[in-house]
Amino acid sequence: MGEWQAKGFWYSEWAFPLFVACLASGIFAGTHLYYVYHVGAFNDIAIVAMLEAGIKGGGYGAAAAFGASFLFARILEGPLVGILDIGGSLQTGIGIGVPALMLGAGFTAPLTSFPLALATGALLGFIIGTVIIMIRKYTINASNSTFGADVMMGAGNAAGRYLGPLIVISAIMASIPVGLGATAGAAIFYYYNKPIAGGAIIGAMILGAIFPIPTQ
Amino acid sequence: MVTLMIVLKSIVIGALVGFGVGAGAARMFHAPNVQGMGAFRTFGELNACAGDPISHFSFGLGFLFNSWASVVGAGALTQDVDHRVIPNWAAAVLLWRNKNVAETLHNPKQMAIAGAAVGVVVVTLLNSTATAIPESMQLVATKVLVPAANWLINPIMPIVFWMAAMDAGKRTGIWGTVLGGLSHLVMGNAVPGIVLGILIGKGLDDSGWNKITKSMFIAVILLFVFSGFFRGFDVALLKSMYVEIPQWLIELHETFGSVVKK
Repeated sequence: MGEWQAKGFWYSEWAFPLFVACLASGIFAGTHLYYVYHVGAFNDIAIVAMLEAGIKGGGYGAAAAFGASFLFARILEGPLVGILDIGGSLQTGIGIGVPALMLGAGFTAPLTSFPLALATGALLGFIIGTVIIMIRKYTINASNSTFGADVMMGAGNAAGRYLGPLIVISAIMASIPVGLGATAGAAIFYYYNKPIAGGAIIGAMILGAIFPIPTQ
Repeated sequence: MVTLMIVLKSIVIGALVGFGVGAGAARMFHAPNVQGMGAFRTFGELNACAGDPISHFSFGLGFLFNSWASVVGAGALTQDVDHRVIPNWAAAVLLWRNKNVAETLHNPKQMAIAGAAVGVVVVTLLNSTATAIPESMQLVATKVLVPAANWLINPIMPIVFWMAAMDAGKRTGIWGTVLGGLSHLVMGNAVPGIVLGILIGKGLDDSGWNKITKSMFIAVILLFVFSGFFRGFDVALLKSMYVEIPQWLIELHETFGSVVKK
């Protein structure tokens, strides 16, 4: 990853709002699918349940406050650390918080119409992307310091290495056959110089399909 | 008819989402010089699979079963679709033909295109097939992969980032420790705080207290104050100190739509 290749449209600052616009457009339209067909919201059950509570007539306050606060925090954090958290900012903020605010205020059109949903999401995403690039301009980009990018990259790489052993341990705690499968898979992958996470999952799945994990 | 509409819309949604996720994920590998989009967990997990297509594929597959269970049950795709399935499968597709991660996984153009293709398939599949999933596979996902991934996010990632901050010098160590602890309290995970600590600590090491480091410092304080308020940390703090919550604070929370429980 040398400096020489991090150039051009795909790496540029101004391409970022476009990428956020695409993603936010899709996520907002996903909420449209959920609102109309009850399928397709891009979030975890617990968070979608807050929106559902509003749709069922229980008030949109919880979903709106939760979503808006995540969105706000992630927009401030994103430009500083160089990674915008999709889960907090777009999936929860744009996908749950903003729709809850709109529905709470009585605007149903952006959620009932598919084209309008796409446009609303794209516009909001573009604004968020632009705000983030603006904050960057006045912080990271205005300085010669790299602000410890190397430290963070190193930590990110180091943390990743833990996943394989964690999967094996988790599999062992799930059931004996699944644990044996994960252990054997990890060992085989290690022998062939492959990351053991992949082997552990495949091993756990194969044995888990033959000997299902008992449910209480 | 309804299924057809869901399929058609899902194709559009999947392409848009996959395109953004792919480009954002590849750009994470160039952060913070380039603004990326994804999550620290996505970044760590992509690194764990170390550019091996089978590992990327199987990791994504595990979470596909998990999402499947969730969409059948509640119509919710889970955040794993954007954070795990699409980026890892896009990486798997690209790495299958070219093992050089600089030209594939770290390349926003390649990842955006592959992500869009994967997004169309995954989102359409999940939204349209609300029927039979092998339950035994679902169980492996929820009982094995979910706990392992949760342990990675907490406590492994906080510890690894924390140690990296402490090893990088006295200043990053102190800032990382203080902001990390506060971040775990307020935001629920120490990693964002430690990363901000590294940013400020290294910024001060390199250039001292100038306009940029000062404005970053103010931004960080605002971040903590606002996320603390909106997540109700102020109320929880007062409660755990057995202090009566003042009426004006309850009313302030109410104006933003959150209800303070007595």
